[in-house]
Amino acid sequence: MADTQSTQDTVTYVYGIVPGDVESDPEARGIGDPPGKIAVVRHGDIAALVSHISRDTPLGKPEDLAAHAQVLDATSGVAPVLPLRFGAVVSGEDAVAEELLAQHHDEFRSALRELEGKAEYVVKGRYEEQAILREILAESEDAARLREAVREKPEDAARNDRIALGELINNAIAAKREVDTRKAVEKLGELGVTVNVREPTHERDAVYVACLGEVAAQGELEKAVGELAKTWEGRVDLRLLGPLAPYDFVVTKQPQE
Amino acid sequence: MTTAVQPAGGGGGGFDRPSSSSLADVIDTILDKGLVIDAYVRVSLVGIELLTIDARIVVASVDTYLRFAEAVNRLDISDTEQKGLPELIEDMNEGGAKSKTKGALEAAGDKLKDFLAEPTDDGRQTANRGRGRKDDD
Repeated sequence: MADTQSTQDTVTYVYGIVPGDVESDPEARGIGDPPGKIAVVRHGDIAALVSHISRDTPLGKPEDLAAHAQVLDATSGVAPVLPLRFGAVVSGEDAVAEELLAQHHDEFRSALRELEGKAEYVVKGRYEEQAILREILAESEDAARLREAVREKPEDAARNDRIALGELINNAIAAKREVDTRKAVEKLGELGVTVNVREPTHERDAVYVACLGEVAAQGELEKAVGELAKTWEGRVDLRLLGPLAPYDFVVTKQPQE
Repeated sequence: MTTAVQPAGGGGGGFDRPSSSSLADVIDTILDKGLVIDAYVRVSLVGIELLTIDARIVVASVDTYLRFAEAVNRLDISDTEQKGLPELIEDMNEGGAKSKTKGALEAAGDKLKDFLAEPTDDGRQTANRGRGRKDDD
């Protein structure tokens, strides 16, 4: 009875689709508490990375999110992978093989072939606060004037001026972001990588772009980002993430019914 | 031969090259990007409760504006302008009162990091180091 029950309460979490020749590390662990072992479900030339979780446990704890990304990103350094959005759960391994893999075998296979040797890299730059504020105050008479107005009035009375000053700065940063993002896209474009600009997620974001490039050519990418970092030294804090699974470069086809 | 993919310390100039993504990076990525399972699986789809995470900072709100104005107030005056001594003293007095605000605002800016534990540096290795591909032949 207990065994039957536990089987029914276990469902299959799917991380992503990989070529059929990928093998999982017996030590690899995924989401859940305790973290589930990563298994490979194969069908034809493709396979899915999965683990088993309890049906009753809500997903989304920080450890879950980290585990999802880690399983996919670690794979992306050695094999192409089609990442699924966080939270993909089906009833069991049979369903993965029969419904997910078998029914979409050819489209997954061709997408994986396109991705062979490639991975995603994310270039993320954030304006250094003091540097960018000084830059804007030096460039904008309005900003400098509002700054004076704010300083001269008591805090409550200056509220509207403070909002106006902040809005002006926010807009100035947005304009700078556009210019600097274009510079970064041009620089990365010279490498022949595909670039996808992400929406900013922080008010001081300077650059936030994902690119799809050859893992073998990662050194060139690092060199280009290094050159950007040098250009923007003291002004933009730049980071390069990757190789990652190509989250920004996989698109779900519209269901045909 | 080992795989040539590794975090590059000497790859370029002064930029950060973390060996694994922070939780903030992960949230930006895996919650609204990637293939959607519903488009491929209907019959065997299982709905699991997802804890919602709405940790993104809304760009361009009054809060943002006020934060920027505060940041301008905090700028060291002498760097950008020449001022008379009385005004400088006034600014210094204000500065004392505002240092607390600064801490709170910075904490808000970094709330993702606080809210979510960073993955450990060796997480990737322990989870996946051995994953590889079979020989192609």
